[in-house]
Amino acid sequence: MNEQHDDRLTTAARQLATEISPERDLWPEIESAITSPVRERPRWTPMFAQAAAVVLLIGASSGLTYLAVKDEQAVTVPVYQPEYVFERAAFGMSHNLGSDYQDARADLASRLDEQLARLSPEEREDVEKTLVVIREAIADINSALQQDPNNAYLQELLQKTYREELNVMRRVGGLTRNVMLRNDI
Amino acid sequence: MAALLTAQSSDYSQLMAYDAAIPDEADCIARAQAGDTRAFETLYRLNIDRVYGLCLRMTGNVSEAEDCAQEAFIQAWNKIAKFRGDSAFGTWMHRIAVNSVLGRIRKSKREQDRIQLVADTAVSPASIGDSGNLRDLSDAIDKLPEGARHVFVLNAVYGYSHEESGNMLGIAIGTSKAQLHRARRLLAQQLQEQGFEA
Repeated sequence: MNEQHDDRLTTAARQLATEISPERDLWPEIESAITSPVRERPRWTPMFAQAAAVVLLIGASSGLTYLAVKDEQAVTVPVYQPEYVFERAAFGMSHNLGSDYQDARADLASRLDEQLARLSPEEREDVEKTLVVIREAIADINSALQQDPNNAYLQELLQKTYREELNVMRRVGGLTRNVMLRNDI
Repeated sequence: MAALLTAQSSDYSQLMAYDAAIPDEADCIARAQAGDTRAFETLYRLNIDRVYGLCLRMTGNVSEAEDCAQEAFIQAWNKIAKFRGDSAFGTWMHRIAVNSVLGRIRKSKREQDRIQLVADTAVSPASIGDSGNLRDLSDAIDKLPEGARHVFVLNAVYGYSHEESGNMLGIAIGTSKAQLHRARRLLAQQLQEQGFEA
């Protein structure tokens, strides 16, 4: 790196835009967060949200960590209720999630069963447990949002939880990419 | 001459009217400290581009930058009663924004999961706000390692001193200098490969 280039870099860096307008107005969500009547909010809401987040993260991370390090063992696969498997992608009952999200989710969900079949029973159990935790959290947060639709904290938590669900499904795809079945040949 | 005076007088009154239309930041701060959300909205409108710009440069990601900017203003509302005007309001907001970005990064590292989905769906910020060769530089900054990027953005783009950026980032002045040197070296390598001309 020579001095001349260094000077040019400094000059160019000073010309970069320091003021950039966001593509959307961020104020309505800020306003909603700062004007939420905290005292009127049910006391259990923030506690619930924190608990849900903790459960979600512990469930997701422990499940996925386990998948990465586990030894193969034969374990009985539990059967989960079908309503857990494809929880509706609503947003607090008053908004729908974007079509890109819906498409990505539908695509991943359609391949999930096939990908799960490539995992060992133990791995599969772990993934399914993780998804159950996430989907229960989605249902719980949606219920809480019905009571407090403008709660920005819950809205953010819900978005993160949906994102977490996609990540888990996507990771299942990554884990199974190199696992061949007999009928692949 | 009379016509000239009339024209000057008209310009002057337009200027006065324009001045009156510009919100007084100090007044807005005082009103926001008293709980006036309209005044705080004015402060938001006056500062959002600078705050969002910083968040975008630091994160290199549109949706993360939006989240960080929102969080920064929510934090600012919660803390505004403590704002004493020791620094400019914009600088104070920048400090909060940097904290918001760093907090979010720490959180993301714990979750270790934002990467894939966000990287796949986020709009590249490279084309925002800059043009021509500056886009290449902007792209190259986005590719810098986190520590080097943060120091470069605060120091080289926003003009903060090593002491100020070190303070904001919670690192020593020496570390800030070392990270800036590293950033320059990496940027020079990247940009020379692309035939960059400032």
